[in-house]
Amino acid sequence: MAKKVCIIGGGVAGMQVASVLGTLGVPSVLVERSPLLGGRVLKLSRTFPFFNDDGFNDGQDFAAALERDLRAISLADIHLNTTLTGMTGDFPHFRVALSDGTSTDVGAVVLATGFEPFDPTGLNEYGYGIYPNVITATELEWMLNPRGPTGGELIRPNDGKKAGRLGIVFCVGSRNRRINAPFCSRICCSYSTKQASTVMERNPSAFVACFYMDVRTYDRGFEEMYSMAQDRGVKYIRGRVSMCKQLPDGSIAVRAENTLISQPFWGEFDIVSLSTGMRPCSDVEKLAQILGIGRGPDGFFMCREWFRHPHDATRDGVFIAGCATGMKPIRNCIIDGASVAARVTALLRQVSP
Amino acid sequence: MTASTATTKVIPENDFFIPPSCILGAINPSTEVIITRIFDLLGLRWKAAGVGPESQCTCCTGILSHGDIMSIESTLLVVARLWSVAAEMGFENISPACVTSFAIHTECFEMYEHEPELTVKVDRWLQEACGRRLVIPKHIVHASDVVYRYRETLAQNFMKHRLVDKTDGRPLRVVDHVGCHYAKVFPEKSIGGADWCDVLAGAIRSWGGENVDYPERRHCCGMGFRQCMIRPNRGYTMACVLKKLESMEPWAPEAILTNCPGCNVMLDKEQWAVKELTGKTYDIPTLSYTELAGLLLGWDPYGVVGIQAHTVPIEPLLDKIGIPYDRSKEWQPEAQQDIELAGVRA
Amino acid sequence: MSRQFPQKADTGSKASDDLLSEGHEGLRKIPDNEMIASYERVRDHQVQTGQDRTYPNIRRLHGTPFEREKDRREVRALLEKPNEMQAWYQMARTQPCTWWIKNHLVARHALKSCLACGVCTSQCPAAQYYEEYNPRAIVDIALSEDEARLVELLKSETLWYCGQCGSCKPKCSRENNLMGLISSLRFLAQLKGYHLASVRGRQQYAARHLWGGNLWNRACSLYFRNVTSAGHPDFGPRYADYHADIDRQMTRLGANPDSSGQLGGRKVPPETLAELRRCVTWGGTLVLWQRLEELALEDARAVGISIDEYHDQVRSEG
Repeated sequence: MAKKVCIIGGGVAGMQVASVLGTLGVPSVLVERSPLLGGRVLKLSRTFPFFNDDGFNDGQDFAAALERDLRAISLADIHLNTTLTGMTGDFPHFRVALSDGTSTDVGAVVLATGFEPFDPTGLNEYGYGIYPNVITATELEWMLNPRGPTGGELIRPNDGKKAGRLGIVFCVGSRNRRINAPFCSRICCSYSTKQASTVMERNPSAFVACFYMDVRTYDRGFEEMYSMAQDRGVKYIRGRVSMCKQLPDGSIAVRAENTLISQPFWGEFDIVSLSTGMRPCSDVEKLAQILGIGRGPDGFFMCREWFRHPHDATRDGVFIAGCATGMKPIRNCIIDGASVAARVTALLRQVSP
Repeated sequence: MTASTATTKVIPENDFFIPPSCILGAINPSTEVIITRIFDLLGLRWKAAGVGPESQCTCCTGILSHGDIMSIESTLLVVARLWSVAAEMGFENISPACVTSFAIHTECFEMYEHEPELTVKVDRWLQEACGRRLVIPKHIVHASDVVYRYRETLAQNFMKHRLVDKTDGRPLRVVDHVGCHYAKVFPEKSIGGADWCDVLAGAIRSWGGENVDYPERRHCCGMGFRQCMIRPNRGYTMACVLKKLESMEPWAPEAILTNCPGCNVMLDKEQWAVKELTGKTYDIPTLSYTELAGLLLGWDPYGVVGIQAHTVPIEPLLDKIGIPYDRSKEWQPEAQQDIELAGVRA
Repeated sequence: MSRQFPQKADTGSKASDDLLSEGHEGLRKIPDNEMIASYERVRDHQVQTGQDRTYPNIRRLHGTPFEREKDRREVRALLEKPNEMQAWYQMARTQPCTWWIKNHLVARHALKSCLACGVCTSQCPAAQYYEEYNPRAIVDIALSEDEARLVELLKSETLWYCGQCGSCKPKCSRENNLMGLISSLRFLAQLKGYHLASVRGRQQYAARHLWGGNLWNRACSLYFRNVTSAGHPDFGPRYADYHADIDRQMTRLGANPDSSGQLGGRKVPPETLAELRRCVTWGGTLVLWQRLEELALEDARAVGISIDEYHDQVRSEG
C-alpha cells in the first residue's frame, strides 16, 4: 500500500488533490476545520466566466459534485471539524497529529488552506461596519445566491427595501501600500464583474457602477464576461472611491474622481459592495510554524522554486495547492489540485516504490 | 463605531509645554486661555511662556510654511528652538494649542525619524544660530488630546451642565469638525484616524450629547491659509463652509464642535457670509472644545468663555442647556473686569 | 487698577513719528542703522498697565511701509555673507525644476509613484471649488520629469489653488505627500520668479509681508489687529463690535494684547525675537524673501508703480 498523504483543507483544491490521489491509488487523510467540505465555494451564487456551463447552478452544486466523486473513490479518510495540531519526522516519514486526538503516519503533507477575505473594517473611508448598506463582496455574493437570506434578491440591509442602485468598489484591501498591501488580489475584478452582470441580468433597470483602477479580467473567457457586463449596462468608472457616507435615508453617497475624464464623481447608492482582496487563511502563521515552512511578503505560503516547482513548499515533502499560494479562480485551484497530486505521487514512488 | 476608533496613540498624563496659537491668539483668545484654565483645574503641570513672565514662545511658522514663504529648514529650526525652550524647563511633552502647530511639530519629529542625519545638521545649526541644542521631545499631542484623555474626569468631577436639553434630558445633536491638520496629515497620530476621529466625538458623548455623522463631515472648513487671509481668494473658504452647512442641515445639528483654531473661526464667522450670499440663515452655534468645556464647567459665558466673540449667537444653545448668562455683561464695562477675573482665579 | 488702553501714544521722538508716515521713497534716504534703531525705539516704548507692561506703538508700526522697508534692509544685510542653507537655496534656484524635485528636502520625500486612482482629487476641496484644478495632474507633471511642463505648472494659476488642508494625504495608496509637494513647488516658483506669471502667485508678495512681517517683528504669524472687520466683512457685524473693542475684550478673556505675557497678542522680549530671526535666517528663508523683493520691484517698475502701491495691489487682486 502506498504511503498516505495528509491534506489540510477540504475546499475545492483539497478535495481535488484527494480525488486525483485516489484515482492514482494513493490514500489520503483530508483534514477540514469546518463541518462541511467545499470551503468558500459553498456560498458562491454562481461560477464564472460561463455561468453554469458545466450544469452546476451554484457553488454548492459544484462542491457537492466534487465531494461525490471523492467519496466514490473512498481512499480518503475525511476528518471534519478537525485541525492539524502537530507534525514530527521528515520526508517521507512524517507523523501528523490532529485535534480529534488521532495521529497518522504520512509520506507527504499538502496544504490546501485557501484564503480569507480582507476585513475592510480598518479602511475607515468606506464606513464598513458602521453603515449597514456598505457590505462586502462576500456578503453581496450570499445575497445574490438564491439559497441565501434574501432568496437572491438585492435588498437594502438598513430597511429591507429593494435595492436598484449598486456601487461596487474594486481593490479594497489590495494595491494599497498605505495598508501594506501592495499586491493585486487578481480575482476581484472578475468576481465583481460577475456580480455586477448578474444584478443587471436580473434587473435591467438597475444602476450598477464599478469603481476600478484597472480591469484585470485576465483569464480565458473573463474579458468576454467583462464586455457582456458592459453590454448589460454595468457602468465602469475609473477611479478609487475616496469616501462613502450615509445619507439620511440610509443610502450611501460615494465620492471618487472619474479619472478618464478628470471629473469629480458623486453618486448615491442603495448598496455599496466592497470588492475585498484576499489574505491568507487565519491560521497561516500557526501552520507555517507547525510545518516549518516559509511565507512570502504577501503572507501566503512560499514555493521553493517559482517556475520549476510552483507547488513545493520550502520544506521537502510539503506541498501547496489552490489559494494557499495566492488568489486564483476555482478552475485554477482544480488544475492545481491535480498537479499537486501528480507531483506528490511521483515523489513518493521515488522514495518508496 | 467602536472598532474603528481604536487608537494606539499615547497621551501622556501630565507635564505639557503649550506653544500658543497665532490664530487663537488673534481671533479667539479665550479658547487658548481656557486650555490653561482646564489644565489648572485638573491639577496638571504646564507652561506656555518660558522661565520668566515674558514669553519665550514664538509661532511655529506653520502659517508661513503652508503659505509657502518659509523654508522647511527654517521651520525645523524654529520648532527645534521651541523644543529646546521646553526642555530647559523640564518638559518632554509638547502640546500645541493649534492643530497646524501639532502637524508642524509632528512633521519635524517624523523628519528626524526618517532622516537621522538631519538631527545632526539641525543640532549644529541651532547651536550656531542661538546656542541651543536639539532635544527631541517624548510626545507631541494636541491640547484636545489632553482634554480627550480627561473628558470623563471633567464630566464627572467638574462639569455643572451636560449637553442635553434641559426640558426633557434629550442629548443635544452635535456635529464634530476635526481640524484637517489634526487628523489628516498624520492620521496615525490622531485619536481614531482621519475618518472616524474620536477626539471630539468622544468628548461629545462623555459630556452627554449625541454625535451626529453627515456626508461632508470631514470636508475642510476652507481656511486654507492663503485662501481666507488674502481677500480675493476667500470665495473658496465660503464655498467650503456652505458645502458643510448644506450637508449637515438634514440632521438638524444644534451645535458644531471644533478643535482647530481656523475651523472655529471659519465655521462660525462665515455663516454670516453664507447668510448674506445665499439668503439662508443656518445659525448653528460653533464652539471650540475648550469653549464648550468652559460653558459646561459653569464658567462665565462672556467673561471667561467669550461667546461675544462669536458671529453666530451662542445664547440659544445656553438656553437649551440651561446655562445662565447675564446679557448686560456682553460688552463689559472695564471696571468690572478685575472682579470677574478675580472670580475665575479664586 | 483698571487697565488703560492708549489709543495714540507718542513714539518717543518727532523723528520716529515722521518715519511712520513716510512711504518707500521718503524712507530711501534714511541709513539702515538709523532706521532700525528708530523702529526698535518706537516698538519698545512701554507703559505700565496694572501689573503688566504694554507696548502701545506696535499697532502703529505693523503693516506700515516703514516696517516693510526696515525688514528689507535687515534681510539684505543678513544675506551679505550667505550661510549654508542660504547658499543652498541660491544654488538651487539656478538648477532645473526636475533637480529640485529630486533634491529639495520636502519634495524628495513627497513623491514615490502614482497609480492615477484619483483619490487625491476626489477628496480635494479645491478641486471641488475650482473646476480646472486637479491635483492628480500636478503629480503627473512632477513625475514626468519634463522641464517644460514643470515650468508651465509653476507659472500657472492652478498651482496656487491647493488649500494645504491635507485631505489627500491619508488616502493615497502610494503614500505620497501631495500638500508637501505643492508647497515645495510653490517655493521653487517664487525662487525662479515664475509666480509673477499668475495673479495668485503675485499675491505671495503681500503674504510675505503679512505673515513674514508678523513673524519677523512680532514672533507670531498673525497679529490680532490684522483681522479687522473692514478686511473681513464676511465675519458679520457682531465681529465688528467685538473687534472695535479688541484690546479690552482680549484682556478681559485673559490674553495679552501688545503686552508682556504668555498668550494671544503677547509681545516677546527682544532676545526671543533675535533667536527666532537667527533660526529663520539659518534655515535659508531669507533667500526667498529677498527674491520676492527683487522680483516685486522689477514687476512694479514695469507697470510704473511704487513698491508700496504694488504691495497693496497684489493683495487685492485675484
